[in-house]
Amino acid sequence: MQTPAHSGPSWSLLVVLSLLFLLSYGAARALLELVAAPPLRVASALLPIPFFALWLLTIIRGIRELDELERRIQLEAVAFAFLLTLILLLTLSLLEIAVTLPPEDLSYRHVWPFLPIFYFLGVTIARRRYQ
Amino acid sequence: MNNRLRVLRAERNWSQAQLAEYLEVSRQTVNAIETGKYDPSLPLAFKIGKLFGKPIEEIFFPDSGRAAKS
Repeated sequence: MQTPAHSGPSWSLLVVLSLLFLLSYGAARALLELVAAPPLRVASALLPIPFFALWLLTIIRGIRELDELERRIQLEAVAFAFLLTLILLLTLSLLEIAVTLPPEDLSYRHVWPFLPIFYFLGVTIARRRYQ
Repeated sequence: MNNRLRVLRAERNWSQAQLAEYLEVSRQTVNAIETGKYDPSLPLAFKIGKLFGKPIEEIFFPDSGRAAKS
């Protein structure tokens, strides 16, 4: 039987892959604390990439199965998240020039968690717009 | 763009969910089209026309504000 065009992504698979990706990231961070040899450190840093690739492929496949309105909502959400993150990065870079920011509390690696937050905010705003 | 989708659906006593199933889109999409918040793509508009047995210009038409400008 043909899958309906609006079936969307497999959410359970997406949750499993998201958890695997986060776990692999956590494992990479832990390994980077433990190992000292540069080749092992590089291998540890690259550990999450296969899980990320699987996660990405599942999302792309899921988006292709969404109906046209949901695809537009996703596009608006991604654009919203991307631009808001860009503004955050630009502001952070200007603040770094203006004052000395504590690198342990406020650096570029603290910015990336904002990207999914902005994405979900963008999805919420776009969904409300078409309700 | 305005449309007569809600009227045509009501004439057939279809729910939004039923129409969404026939068109293979989500119920949210049907609702957004009916309320004029979303204009469907040309393929979907043709699919709607085919389902109701009408040409798309009998279902979709420009709103008066835009028509006056063009």
